[in-house]
Amino acid sequence: MKREPIEHLLLFRHTLPHDDLSPEELQRALDATMAWFERLEAAGQLVAAKPLFDEGAMISRDTSGAITDGPYAETKESVAGYLILPPCEFDEAVAIAKTWPMLDHGGRVEIRPIAPECPSFQRLREMTAHAHA
Amino acid sequence: MAAASSEEDVRRLADHLFRREAGKMISILTGVLGARRLELAEDAVQESLIRAMKHWPYHGIPDNPSAWLLRTAKNLALDHVRRESNFQRKQPAIVTEFERRLGESAPEVHDETEIADDQLRLMFVCCHPVLPPEVQSALALKTLCGLSPAEIATAFLASEAAIAKRLVRARQRLREHGVPFEIPAGPELPARLGGVLKILYLLFNEGHKASHGDEAIRADLCREAIRMAEQLAAHPAGDHPATHALLALMHLTAARIPGRLDDHGNLLRLDEMDRTKWDGELIHRGMTHLARSAAGDEASEYHLQAAIAACHTLAPDDASTDWPRILRLYDRMLAQQPNPVVALNRAVALARVEGPAAAIAAVEKIADPQRMEAYHLYHAVLGDLELRRARPCEASRHFERAQSLASTRPERELMARRIQDCAD
Repeated sequence: MKREPIEHLLLFRHTLPHDDLSPEELQRALDATMAWFERLEAAGQLVAAKPLFDEGAMISRDTSGAITDGPYAETKESVAGYLILPPCEFDEAVAIAKTWPMLDHGGRVEIRPIAPECPSFQRLREMTAHAHA
Repeated sequence: MAAASSEEDVRRLADHLFRREAGKMISILTGVLGARRLELAEDAVQESLIRAMKHWPYHGIPDNPSAWLLRTAKNLALDHVRRESNFQRKQPAIVTEFERRLGESAPEVHDETEIADDQLRLMFVCCHPVLPPEVQSALALKTLCGLSPAEIATAFLASEAAIAKRLVRARQRLREHGVPFEIPAGPELPARLGGVLKILYLLFNEGHKASHGDEAIRADLCREAIRMAEQLAAHPAGDHPATHALLALMHLTAARIPGRLDDHGNLLRLDEMDRTKWDGELIHRGMTHLARSAAGDEASEYHLQAAIAACHTLAPDDASTDWPRILRLYDRMLAQQPNPVVALNRAVALARVEGPAAAIAAVEKIADPQRMEAYHLYHAVLGDLELRRARPCEASRHFERAQSLASTRPERELMARRIQDCAD
């Protein structure tokens, strides 16, 4: 069954600290990335986008039940920013992500469809509806 | 959100902004942190550019990108100094001083004269005589011109690892010798200025010679060498006749680059070039510097080379070139620095004044024939001289030798054409 077009989240991961790029190369990469954002916005393909700081924390409850901080998100490949694409097919979202200029400099993008409703919750509701039918 | 709401609002960064700002920011930070902490200054600047790259696509270019970068770099440097807890415990006064000069309350606007001073200081640090010349060039390219180790490696036909090693060694030696971040003064200045000019001259030559490397990087080297020489000339400490002579030489030589290749990318000899392609603006600037270089009675090697470049550049065609004057200039150069390469170039001029036989006799008298034997231009010149005195067989042999020694395709192709000339 074909899914309705839905919003997609792009998570930009920078894998390297770009130490090996010269200022000139960094500027070229920046120019290309800015132009990329501008093209998306001009085409109405940008719902929201924000950068994220590298610093942050990851917390979890360990086996004893205590809340511990860490392990910290791997800073070598932290999520540097996110972008939400308006409703589209998954393939379209992938095609757009493939044009992200930072791919040429070791960047990686994760592409995730944004569920309009929690999928398991939705399934549960459907099952309940069936049972009552 | 992205930078602009409409196409017209799109702001673009000025060409080479990052490269220019990087050199400036490293100078300013090193001015505060001292030459021994050059690496910290470099790292903070690099990180500020990376932060810009991560944030500006979302938030747009700040109103004053240069100020944003400098503020970020200063904060990063200060954070680093504060984190060195050991240092802070032992030297609280220094940390307080760094805070005063780098912190938020420090003046944001730097006086242009002060920046110019800092950049010149950094130039003198990079060209300090405790560093071997090839290390000086690499360090200058990294810190003052913002070239990456990979780009420097391409420019010098060295491996990236070798360049990285040179840079590490450079910073070590600067620390070991406690090289001060200052413009030398008094009797020390002329010799130190000479050292800086020499490095700028070598950088320019490396960029200009058609022997190897990536075209774009080599054009960068020429441009950066000229930029730094201009900075030097604009500063009271560097405004010296020899600086202007070097600038004249650079401009007059760069002016001829547009005519260097034909439409098929073949390398042309000076007498084959279409001189209307030469850059009139650069010739004009070169002549202006040549005029300013005449102040004082010193004739440095740059004066003589610039004067020769002017003879070539001002002649409307090869035939009207003032060869006797060029020969006299080479004679003076040879008297100043007995050097087989200068002697070889003099022989070319001699051939045009007294004929090829006299020139060949002069070439045969050049000292150090072993070193010349491995130099492709030595054979190319001999080939040309033999051809001029109508001995095509000898000429052809020399051109073949030159062809086998030449390191680039355009040069080998030029020699192939000369071999063809011998057969015609």
